[in-house]
Amino acid sequence: MTEEYEVEFVDLGEREATFLVRPITPAFANGIRRAMIADVPTFSIDTVRFIENSSVMFDEQLGLRLGLVPLSTPPGEFEEGEEVTLSLDVEGPETAYSGDLVASDPMVEPADDNIPIIDLKDGQRLELEADAVLDSGREHAKHQGGVAVSYRHLQTVEVVGERGEFAADDPHVLRGVIEEQEADAAADADAQNGDLVPTDAFDNDLTNRYPEKELDVHDIEDAFVFNVETDGSFDVETLVLEAVGSLETRADELKEAVQL
Amino acid sequence: MSYKCSRCKRDVTLDEYGGVRCPYCGHRVLLKERSRDVKEVEVE
Repeated sequence: MTEEYEVEFVDLGEREATFLVRPITPAFANGIRRAMIADVPTFSIDTVRFIENSSVMFDEQLGLRLGLVPLSTPPGEFEEGEEVTLSLDVEGPETAYSGDLVASDPMVEPADDNIPIIDLKDGQRLELEADAVLDSGREHAKHQGGVAVSYRHLQTVEVVGERGEFAADDPHVLRGVIEEQEADAAADADAQNGDLVPTDAFDNDLTNRYPEKELDVHDIEDAFVFNVETDGSFDVETLVLEAVGSLETRADELKEAVQL
Repeated sequence: MSYKCSRCKRDVTLDEYGGVRCPYCGHRVLLKERSRDVKEVEVE
């Protein structure tokens, strides 16, 4: 049995995206969210060998900082548990940045090169070698690929009448994405029925979009809007596909395990 | 080589019978230098 899912992107960037999936249940939406956080493996520094550290911080503190540097992780190129070595050699007076890390494999490099590691003063030096390992967020938060993953119901706005002449002039704040139901009542002349409109478009205040209207806002039961942000290890599309792929793999494993 | 005098900044090797004292300037405060070994740290 296969079900068709409709996926529509409201906003798609390299590291951040908003998209609608329907029809799905809350349980399935949460499954996807959890898979994005805990089951998509990324590279992170796991062992550091300090050759010289005359900075003001302890080796262990620098190790923790290095562990949190996101490293680019090409999907399908590495197995979980595989290692890549990086090295860093910076002499003060200068700040050591994540961009100073040199990787042995060009596919695995710091996702951002402007993360400060430590400020070195005159005469201080930091030289180290680090092993990055591919593992999942289930093992350690530094391996999370999705750093801000959330979902909520798609909302719909219904115009139930005109606002009373003496009704309070309060803002009607709403956050998320709405599906336009009564576009003819909207302030935006280009609005169409069925349009997906992020509430930022009208400053999260429904009175801007439907002036002088009495509104009824409710959730659409089986439609979920995801808000996904990655740490830069890969783009959002890869994260979502890998997460859904991991769900599929585990479902297949279960199916095979229960078969006689 | 394992200590450094805090006043004259010279390297000092501690003599078992000489007590804790810099042989060059007589200062009694010595600083322990970091070892040159490579130190491996697990990131957790």
